[in-house]
Amino acid sequence: MIKKGIAAGIVALLGLAAIVAISTLLLRREYQAPYRAPAGETVETPRDQEIADQRAAQEATEKAKPYQEAEYRPFPKIGSRVAIWIAAQLHLLFAAFVLAVPIFALIIEYIGYRTKDARYDRLAYEFTKLLSVSFSLTATFGAMLTFGLIILYPKFTNYLVSVFSPTFLPYVGLFFLEAFFLYTYYYGWHKFSPRVHLLLGLGLNLVGTGIMLIANAWVTFMTSPRGVSDTGAVISTWEAVRNFTWMPINIHRIIANVAFGGSVAAAYAAFKFLGAKTDEDRAHYDWMGYIGNFVAISAFLPLPFAGYWLAKEIYAYSQTLGLTMMGGAFSWLFIIQAVLIGNLFLAANYYLWLGMGRFSGAEHFQKYIKYLLILVALCFAVWATPRSIISTVSEVRAMGGSAHPALQFLGVMSAKNTAVNILILTTFLSFLLYRRSGKTATVKWAKAGDRAQLAIFLVAASIVLFLGIYGYFVEASVRIGFSVPQVLSVLLAMVSVTVIDVFLFRNAKTTGEARWGQIAPVSQYVLIFIAVTFTWLMGLMGYVRSGLRQHWHVYGVIRDTSVDAFTPTLGFATKIVSVTVLFFFLLISFVFWLASLAGKKDWVPQSKQNESKDLGAAA
Amino acid sequence: MKVPVSLRIAALAIATTGFYTYVGQLVPQKEVQPPVEVVMSKDMKPEEMAKVGREVMDSKGLCFTCHTVGKSGALRFPDLAGIGSRAGSRVPGLSDVEYMAQSMYEPNKFIVPGFNPGMPVINKPPIGLTDDEILAVIAYLQTLGGTTTVTMQTKLPWQAGGTGAEVATGAPTEAGGPADAVPGFKEEEGAAAEAAGPSDAEPDSRPETSQPPPTPQPPPPGSGQ
Repeated sequence: MIKKGIAAGIVALLGLAAIVAISTLLLRREYQAPYRAPAGETVETPRDQEIADQRAAQEATEKAKPYQEAEYRPFPKIGSRVAIWIAAQLHLLFAAFVLAVPIFALIIEYIGYRTKDARYDRLAYEFTKLLSVSFSLTATFGAMLTFGLIILYPKFTNYLVSVFSPTFLPYVGLFFLEAFFLYTYYYGWHKFSPRVHLLLGLGLNLVGTGIMLIANAWVTFMTSPRGVSDTGAVISTWEAVRNFTWMPINIHRIIANVAFGGSVAAAYAAFKFLGAKTDEDRAHYDWMGYIGNFVAISAFLPLPFAGYWLAKEIYAYSQTLGLTMMGGAFSWLFIIQAVLIGNLFLAANYYLWLGMGRFSGAEHFQKYIKYLLILVALCFAVWATPRSIISTVSEVRAMGGSAHPALQFLGVMSAKNTAVNILILTTFLSFLLYRRSGKTATVKWAKAGDRAQLAIFLVAASIVLFLGIYGYFVEASVRIGFSVPQVLSVLLAMVSVTVIDVFLFRNAKTTGEARWGQIAPVSQYVLIFIAVTFTWLMGLMGYVRSGLRQHWHVYGVIRDTSVDAFTPTLGFATKIVSVTVLFFFLLISFVFWLASLAGKKDWVPQSKQNESKDLGAAA
Repeated sequence: MKVPVSLRIAALAIATTGFYTYVGQLVPQKEVQPPVEVVMSKDMKPEEMAKVGREVMDSKGLCFTCHTVGKSGALRFPDLAGIGSRAGSRVPGLSDVEYMAQSMYEPNKFIVPGFNPGMPVINKPPIGLTDDEILAVIAYLQTLGGTTTVTMQTKLPWQAGGTGAEVATGAPTEAGGPADAVPGFKEEEGAAAEAAGPSDAEPDSRPETSQPPPTPQPPPPGSGQ
C-alpha cells in the first residue's frame, strides 16, 4: 500500500512539473498577430454577392410577413391524427380505470364496515393500491393530449377553448380536489375513523365523476354540437355542454368504466394468483379475481342497453350520423364488436362454470353447462352474422345476391336484438347457478320460489323471441319500437329473479364451503383474456365515437381540412387499437409491479444478509 | 422447461390483440374520403346534370346511405325507383320538380305513409349541397322513370333569395316514394345500401366486387309499400 502511494505521488509531481514547464515556455514567447490581407484587396465573387442578396431579400420578406395562425402542424412518421388518437386513447383507458376503481373500492369498503369483515377492507385497500400510479399516468397522458392538440390542431383547439373556456377553471379545481381525495383516501387507510375514510372515498367518487362530466361535454359537443350558430359562433356554453349525446355518454361511460375497471382489477388478481407462493395468498387473490370479475360482468350486462340509448340519441340528433354509424362506413365495425362481446360472454360464462369447482355439491349444476354453452354459442353466431356475406363474384351469382338466402335473415336487427337479450339471460342464469353452488334453500316456499324464477325466465325469453320473430312481419317504424319491451322484459326478469333469490337463500343450508384458491389456473388466464378484450372493445368503441364525425372536427360546424380528414379503413383502425391496448398493458403491468413492491421485504446489503445467515447458523 | 408466468401473460395479451386485429382485416376495407366539390357550369345539358346529380347523391349527398333504387321489402326509407314518374302526382299542387326540391329543402313537410321522419335538410351542414347541386340531383331523380325537365336556369323558391315560406305553407312535400321497381331500370345493388336504424341496423356490406341487379320481390305484409 505504502509503495503504491509513493509511486502515485511521484507521478503526480512529474505531471505537475511538466505542466509548469510547458506553461512557462508558452508564456515567454512574444505575441505575433496572424497575417490578414488588407480589406481593400478582398475579392468578392458574383456568387457571393448573389447569396448575400438572396439572404437579405429573404430576411426582408420574413420581416414583412404578417403573423398568421397555423391551422395544422404535422407530426413525424405516424401523422397528427394517429398521434392524438394514441394519446387520447391511453389517457381515456387510465382515466376510466382511475374513475372506476374508487367506485367499487368504496362499495367493498362499506360492505366491510357494515359486516365487520376485515377481508373486505383488505380487498378494498388492495384495489386502491393500484390508483396512485395510475392517476399519475392519467395526468401524464392528459398533458400529452392537451399539448398535442395545441401543437398539432391549434385552430380547432382554439375554437374549443372559445366555446368551453368557462368550464376549464372548474375542471382544474376538481382535478386538484381529486388529487387531494385520492391521496388522502389511499394514505389515510386506517388513519381516520371508518366513517371519515368512507366520506373521503365518497368525495373522491363525486369529484372524479364531475371531472368526467366536464370532459364528456367537450367530446360529445364535437359529435352533436349545440349552443352554437351554423357558423360556429358561441350562443350558450351551457347548451353546448348539455348537447344531445352528453347524458347518454355520461351514463354509458360510468357503466363501461366500472366494467373495464373491474376486469383490469381482476386481471391484477389473476397475475398475483399465478405468482402466489402460499395457499392463503392464492385464496385471497382467487376471491379478489372473482369480485373484480363479478363487478365487471354486473356492469357489462346493462351496458348494451346504455349503448342502445346512446345510439338512439345519435339518431335523434342526426339521422345521417346514425346511418353513417349503423348502415354506412362503420357498419362492419359492429360485426367486429359482436365478435368481441361474444367472446366476453363466452369467457365470463366459462369462468363461472370453472368457479363451480370451488364448491362441493355443485356437480348437479354442471350437467346444465353444455346446454348453456350451446345457447351462448348460438346467440354469438347470430349476433356476428352479417347481412351480406363477403364473397367472390361467382359466389354472389350462386347466392343470387350478396346476401345469403337463409343467413340474411339472421343479419338484421330483429335477430340480433333477440340474440343479445337471450345471451344476457343465459349469462345471468349461469351466474344464478354459480350462486346456488354449495347451498340449499331452507325456506318453506323453496319449490314455489324455484318455479316462480323459472316462469319469469321463460316468460322473458318468450317475449324476446316472439317480438324478434314478429319484427320480420311489421313495418320498420313498428319494428324499431320492439327493442324497448325486449330490453325491459330482460331487465325486469333479472331484477325480479335476483330479489326472489336473495330471499330464497336467506339462512340457506351450506352443503359445501367455497374453497377459495382451489380453481384451475386456466381460470386466471380467462380473467386476463376478459381484461384484454374489454380494453380492446373500449378502444374500438372510442374509435367509432370519434370517427363517426368523419371529415368534421365539430360535426356540421367546423370542417377538418387537414391531410388526415379521410376516414381510415377498419383494418387500419384495428391495428392502432391493438398497439394502444398492448402499450396500455405494458404500462399497467408496471403499475401492478409497483403495487406489488409494497408487500416485499426491505432491501438488505449482501454483507448483512451473510451476517444474519452466520448468526442463524451459529444459533 | 417451465415458461414464466409473466411470459405466458404477455403471450396471451399479444395473441388476443393479434386475433382481433386479424378479424379487423377480414371485414371490407373502405377508406372514406371527404366529399369533393363538383364543378358545375350554368350551361350544362340535362343529361350532364343527371350524371353529376348521380355522383353527388353517391358522394357528398350521402343519399344512398339511406335510400335505395330498385329494392323492395321492409325498407326504412323510401325506394327511389320510379320517383320520376310518381313525383308530379304525389302532392296536389306541386310539380315533380317542386315536390323533389321540397323533399330536400324541407324534408319533414310531408312524410310518405309507413315511414318515419329522418331526412336531413340537404342544403344545410353536414350535407350542405348547393342550389346547383340540388338541381343536378333533381335532374337525376327525374331520369328514374320520368323525363328530365329541370335545367340549371330553373328557379326554386327555396334557393338563396327565394320565397320558400310561401310554398312551404301551401303544400306539403315528401322525401321520395315507396318502392315499385321500374321495368328496364337496373341499378347495381352496390350503389344502394339499405338504411338502418338503431334497432334495424344492417352492415353496409357493399363488396368491392360487382354484383347482379337485385331480383324484385313482393313486399312482406304490412310493409307499407
